[in-house]
Amino acid sequence: MDATCPSCGAGLETPLACGACGVLMLTEDGACPFALLGLEPGFPVDAKDLKTRLRRFTRLVHPDFFALEGEEALAKAERNNALLNEAFAVLSDETRRADRLVARLGGPSKKDLGSMPQAFLMEVMEWNETLEEASPGSAEMLRLSSELTEHRDRISTEIAAALTPLPQPGAASLAGVRQSLNARRYVDRALGRISASAGPA
Amino acid sequence: MGYIELEVLEDQPKRVVIGIDLGTTNSLPAIWKDGRPEILEVEGEPALIPSVVHVSDDGTAVVGRTARARSMDDPAHTVHSIKRFMGRSLGELDEAVLRRLPYQVTQTERGLVQVEVGGKRFTPQEISALILREVAAQASVAMGGAEILSAVITVPAYFDDAQRQATRDAARLAGLEVLRIVNEPTAASLAYGLDQKEEGTVAVYDLGGGTFDVSILSIEGGVFEVLSTNGDTSLGGDDLDALLVDLLRSELEGSVEGSVFDDPAFRQAARLSAEKAKVALSRDPEADLVISLPELGVNARRTVTREEFERLAAPLVERSIRCCERALKDAELEPKDVDEVVLVGGSTRVPLVRAEVERFFGRAPHTELNPDQVVALGAAAQAEVLMGGSRDILLMDVTPLSLGLETMGGAAEKLIQRNNRIPCSVKEGFTTYADNQSAIDFHVLQGERELAADCRSLGRFKLTGIPPMPAGLPRVGVKFHLDADGILTVSAKEESTGASASIEVKPSHGLTEDEVSDMLEASFKNARKDFEERRRVDLIAEIGIMLRHATANLTVAEERLDRESVEDLHEAIAAAKEARLCTELELVQAARDTLDRATMPLAAVLMDSVVKEAVSGKKLGDL
Repeated sequence: MDATCPSCGAGLETPLACGACGVLMLTEDGACPFALLGLEPGFPVDAKDLKTRLRRFTRLVHPDFFALEGEEALAKAERNNALLNEAFAVLSDETRRADRLVARLGGPSKKDLGSMPQAFLMEVMEWNETLEEASPGSAEMLRLSSELTEHRDRISTEIAAALTPLPQPGAASLAGVRQSLNARRYVDRALGRISASAGPA
Repeated sequence: MGYIELEVLEDQPKRVVIGIDLGTTNSLPAIWKDGRPEILEVEGEPALIPSVVHVSDDGTAVVGRTARARSMDDPAHTVHSIKRFMGRSLGELDEAVLRRLPYQVTQTERGLVQVEVGGKRFTPQEISALILREVAAQASVAMGGAEILSAVITVPAYFDDAQRQATRDAARLAGLEVLRIVNEPTAASLAYGLDQKEEGTVAVYDLGGGTFDVSILSIEGGVFEVLSTNGDTSLGGDDLDALLVDLLRSELEGSVEGSVFDDPAFRQAARLSAEKAKVALSRDPEADLVISLPELGVNARRTVTREEFERLAAPLVERSIRCCERALKDAELEPKDVDEVVLVGGSTRVPLVRAEVERFFGRAPHTELNPDQVVALGAAAQAEVLMGGSRDILLMDVTPLSLGLETMGGAAEKLIQRNNRIPCSVKEGFTTYADNQSAIDFHVLQGERELAADCRSLGRFKLTGIPPMPAGLPRVGVKFHLDADGILTVSAKEESTGASASIEVKPSHGLTEDEVSDMLEASFKNARKDFEERRRVDLIAEIGIMLRHATANLTVAEERLDRESVEDLHEAIAAAKEARLCTELELVQAARDTLDRATMPLAAVLMDSVVKEAVSGKKLGDL
């Protein structure tokens, strides 16, 4: 990142606060989650690096460190820490991360394109039948569960491949990614239903 | 004493911030000193304050040990376990719990719990404020008179917004600035981590007097990160006691009138007997539940074996283990991934609890830290962080419950998921359904259930001041912010015009801002009176101790003192006995001073004989 601290002139790792002088910055609500964590936009994210960044930047913005700095600084810390936590939540969840990238590149939103890939639909109808009819914990349900998990992995690989490297803004492939995301949402919901019906845990 | 005081005062930083464990059964202050947290002590003992308040018919309130001592002879005026009612409405409370209380519980017109003692009604916030005042007063004594204005106060991690707000309001009523509301298991992990210098994944199992929490944390390089938390805000030692109370009741069933069970004296005696037996059962294979109230015709003794108690307690312990399962699942961990289990809270002394925790996690829990002190120690460490003393420690906590909005259809739409890191914010857009509609109502919920009716209602908000526009055109952005204390604030803005809409809040289970202000104002008016009352109560307690010593040694006085001194002593004793019932501070003070003077010759004689006894029969060389 090229930005510098308006207070001390040091280079900034995150637009939330200056790592050199500690001053908190005012950041817009819709700021890019990648920028907030000091990263270039891109689909692959190193989970460990992300966590390290979260912790390092939290040390700069956590309200605990502004308890004596007056109401205004405290409010800013609350706000910036909330932005940081939200950015981390988006980037550490592959669905939300992909979602954000598709939107950023001008691809269709979930509202614009709610469909799933054509090939997937037939299977969905079959799965729904099993979901409705098979009893919780039965062999059939277990089979469905592992089948869904397998599918989920396959879809995830497809999404990752389509977004690495990032396609050009407005690329036609973004519609495909959106459909895959919709499919994965369906699988996640179905898996959620299976584990919920298997009993409270 | 005077010298020590001076020295302590010089060492004090400009601002003293203490950590307070505000517990269901006991409360405890701690402070950071010389690079580590330390429990505050008065006269060499931890300044442990029983969370009990006694209110006389004349309105005088006493807190702590004195109040607990009154709980047997005056149960209807003695309030205990008030923490279980914080931020609650009467309608939500378990009938069985209410039936066991020796004091009266009523509700405000909005349905908030109130206790009625000494002809006066108190909200749980006000009772807790009295406890906090006493904790601060004792902490001040422990620090040689330093004034305490700010504190870090702990709450169960599973406390919801209303319960946290209630705690914060209690502190405000007690004249304390709350620098942070910190979760009890998080505080405990902090104390554990600082003490043991261990890193890794830690599970904190905290079974207190009235609440249960489990938190899974990662401790690494001074970062204490809560991965997940779960719990039950109505599961604790009180519930274990209740099992034994029920045993006593069934033992008495048929032999006494049913109305006896409603008598405050019975309820209190049964509770105390149960508590005693429970504590004994942690040590011995069996214990006796004993109750003897001749005036009620109650006389019973029932032997309970540990095995029987454990059979009764098993479902409660099982409930806590289910919470541990859910917490691990949310943290995406298995029991074997946990490197250490830390036990917190007095109820973890129950052998069954330890055994079940060990069985579930597959490792013996860590028991080196005192489970009654570790939370207060952690709160003091957190206070140090807030005071700017340490940037090496970083606490990252989560919200225990999902936050949601009621939809048109009565479902709960989740805005913030449980175990989300705090602070966090979420923005939600609203619009109007009718032309020129100027207000929008929404209902904020907390909980995991799908239907709004099954979640806990936090409050109803009314957005007003929306400029007149056709239906659907206004875009009101509402921002929900959970702060580092886990408390919600809501702000709104009409985005097409930029007009900031105002929000009226009607908390479902808490005090409104106006109610807190009114209570504060009333307490300022009463501050002088309160101070005098307190002084009077302290003097009466002191007179009590002096009287006990004087009457115990009256024979010595009559044998060894001159007639005049003996007469003085008798007069002073009679006057002091009378003064204990007196409501005038000056008269009580005078009686105490007279008694003090009159007992001096006796004290001298006693001291003399103690020395003589010590040296008698010994040769000079032995001394």
